[in-house]
Amino acid sequence: MLKLPQSSTDRKHFVIVGALVLVTTIALGFFLLAILPVKAQYSVQAEPIRWLFQLHIWLIAFLFSLVVVFMLYALIVFRKRKDENSEGEHFEGNTTLEVAWTVIPLVLVIIFSFIGFQTLQEATRGSDEVQVEAVGFQWAWTFNYPNGVTSPEMVLPVNKPALITLRATDVIHSFWVVEWGPKQDLVPGMTTRLHITPTEVGEFKVRCAELCGLSHWSMLATVRVVPEDEYIAWMNQKLAEQNLQTASR
Amino acid sequence: MQLTSLGLVRGIIGYFVGLVIGMAVVVISRLALGMSAWDQEAGWVGGIIFAMIGFMLAVGSLSDWLKWTRGVETPFHHGPPVGKPAWTRYFSVDYNHKVIGIQYGVTGFLLLIIGGSFALVFRAELADSGISFLQPGTYNTFLSMHAWVALASILLGVGGLANYLVPLMIGAEDMAFPRLNAFAYWINVPAILTLMISMLFGWDSGWTAYPPLSLRGPVGYQMVFWAIFGIGLSSILGSLNLIVTMLTMRPKGMTLFRMPIFCWAILATSIIQLTATQLIGLAFLMLSFERSLGMPFFNPLYNALGENIGGQPLLFQHLFWFYSHPAVYVFVLPGLGVISELLPVFARKPLFGYRWIALSSLAIALVGFLVWGHHMFTSGYGEYLRVVFMISTLLVAVPTGVKFFSWLGTLWGGRLTFPTPMLFTLGAISVFLIGGLSGPILATAATDLFLHDSYFVVGHFHATIFGGFVFPFFAAIYYWYPKITGRMYNETLGKIHFWLMTPGFWVMSLAQMTAGTMGMRRRIADYDPALGVEPVHLLITLAGFVIAFSILLMIYNLFVSAEVGALAGNNPWRSRSPEWQIPSPVPEHSYARPITVVGEPYDYGLAGSTYVAMAGAGDD
Repeated sequence: MLKLPQSSTDRKHFVIVGALVLVTTIALGFFLLAILPVKAQYSVQAEPIRWLFQLHIWLIAFLFSLVVVFMLYALIVFRKRKDENSEGEHFEGNTTLEVAWTVIPLVLVIIFSFIGFQTLQEATRGSDEVQVEAVGFQWAWTFNYPNGVTSPEMVLPVNKPALITLRATDVIHSFWVVEWGPKQDLVPGMTTRLHITPTEVGEFKVRCAELCGLSHWSMLATVRVVPEDEYIAWMNQKLAEQNLQTASR
Repeated sequence: MQLTSLGLVRGIIGYFVGLVIGMAVVVISRLALGMSAWDQEAGWVGGIIFAMIGFMLAVGSLSDWLKWTRGVETPFHHGPPVGKPAWTRYFSVDYNHKVIGIQYGVTGFLLLIIGGSFALVFRAELADSGISFLQPGTYNTFLSMHAWVALASILLGVGGLANYLVPLMIGAEDMAFPRLNAFAYWINVPAILTLMISMLFGWDSGWTAYPPLSLRGPVGYQMVFWAIFGIGLSSILGSLNLIVTMLTMRPKGMTLFRMPIFCWAILATSIIQLTATQLIGLAFLMLSFERSLGMPFFNPLYNALGENIGGQPLLFQHLFWFYSHPAVYVFVLPGLGVISELLPVFARKPLFGYRWIALSSLAIALVGFLVWGHHMFTSGYGEYLRVVFMISTLLVAVPTGVKFFSWLGTLWGGRLTFPTPMLFTLGAISVFLIGGLSGPILATAATDLFLHDSYFVVGHFHATIFGGFVFPFFAAIYYWYPKITGRMYNETLGKIHFWLMTPGFWVMSLAQMTAGTMGMRRRIADYDPALGVEPVHLLITLAGFVIAFSILLMIYNLFVSAEVGALAGNNPWRSRSPEWQIPSPVPEHSYARPITVVGEPYDYGLAGSTYVAMAGAGDD
């Protein structure tokens, strides 16, 4: 068996710990990526979110490994053995270390601030090529289009930047389609906005993501992303239905 | 022995008498003003205010001060009450900080069980999809109550640790203001009673009570607002007491940088409590007055053009989080102080970088005031604010990292032993690490736009709270149990508790975060099985029950060991701290003679060094 030196400053310790930290970081990183699957994927805005999340995972894997490997190593190597002089090595601190482990995290904070700023821009960027207003109220959704169409389900054309304006009529709600990534609260007395460019055709659910009373849990609506020609056809059909209704009054 | 000789019993009677009087005052005032006699909002607010005053009068927490107004002297009575069993002092007003510390700690522990039990109820419901037994309305009340009861348990637990330990650690006879200390404990009791009564009426917003939702719905809300006002008052008065005590009552030789590190943690915590708590008092008062008096703070009001010319819901969120973020540092700084306090004892070497650790607590307290907007990234406030709060939030990682690395430096090169307090200290570090590392993901606004209001956040804050408070609280209970009771707890049971609870908690935290990334929202009575989270929820529920069971073992351990535990002696841990140089259990007057500080607190391993000279030691 490896005979480990008892002196805490022996370089052997740090070589072993360093190797263990490297191995653990890689293993933990892949493990965390596997057990924390980010469901955000089907919009332009989801991409920077996924990317940043995965970057965080690698940093977390490293920092967790750093602390835990050092800790477990210490618990094993520096445990008190029987019939041993029972006091530890007497050192009170190390200014170089203190400065290093203050400055390096500070540098990481600055780096992540920049990256965070960039990804925030990308996750909230969009235009209003398609517009729809989502109105939330206890406990359902209505979607209003600029041409006057109103619908209980939201339909959007794929790959077109959409501006979703959000209004609440009673209490605070929040608009969240998990697969699209970001959410945005609806606040009575304010109009809030969400830019989404959906990139996958499919049927999704928008779920209220701010506790709004009794049936918050089931405040859902259907969201369909369709090819552009299908969107136009749907719009025309809805217009026709609504005009027929107005005409028949 | 008469039941009404117990302060608690008199207090409860006073509470209900006050409740009736308060409601009568409201009714009479309304009739005199030509309004209808009863309004639920006004009636209950008036009732609760008088009820809380009635409790405090009847329990006896105001009697000395009232005597002073009449010029009557109130000499201190030290010791158990005359003519009654000794245990009754724990159920009445007692001015000894050790008694008050136990009162805080036991009440806090009780609330931990109650609040935890609320969680077990809705975790049982969430174990599978579909609504089984807990209807959504009740679910919302249970989840809201779980949060406030648990938070109250933490505040009281912090109060218990601080009140019991700080005077002992600085060799002080008691706190600077003993009567204020008793008042600050007792105000929690009618507050908690009021909080529990709210369940009869229900309230459905979660602990955050966002308007406009909290401006509608049952009168249970009013009870919550005023209960929290009472608990907040306790925080403010208790922290004032602790700061004055630490600044003015240290012994000769104890400069600030020769205080036990736990005191630094409490100093930073107290500064936050003293200055931030007012904001939640204000926010809840505004909600209460908008509900009962129509004051237009938060409800929007639309003109003919549909523009909002009334209140702003977001104003509440700013006021609320300006307290509630610093509050989480109130929750964790003491526990982190416990970790720093215990590691040197079980590593038998100095605390690494004592001054840096002390200052890191103050740094966390300071930076903690600058980050509140990270709870509001999706709220609709000005977009530039997302950047500001992202940067300030990431900064908290720096002083927090200093603590973690210093703890490693304390372990490194030690001669480590692993009795239960040390196990829980190490468990605390591991759990707080998980919680802390999941923080930056929420700090960078883009990722938070995805994860806000998801179960990922639930995983993050439970891990930080358990790692920063609950695990250290348990470590502290096991550690100081011999000092408080004179007996050792059962070590085997302690280890079983640890080995059930810690892996259970790792699993629960990770599973909650997984559910979040898979799209599971917070605060929902039922979830869509199509999300694929059902097995994850089963895992979370099972882990929760394992944790709960392990805590039952602890309770059993503490009760039985008080009767049959081995006698502990003065200093079973061979600690240098002052409280371990005096008898266990601690006598009524903790320090027979003043102590003098003649060395550094953590010079373990330095032959011949002493921290405190017990004056006159060797004379007896």
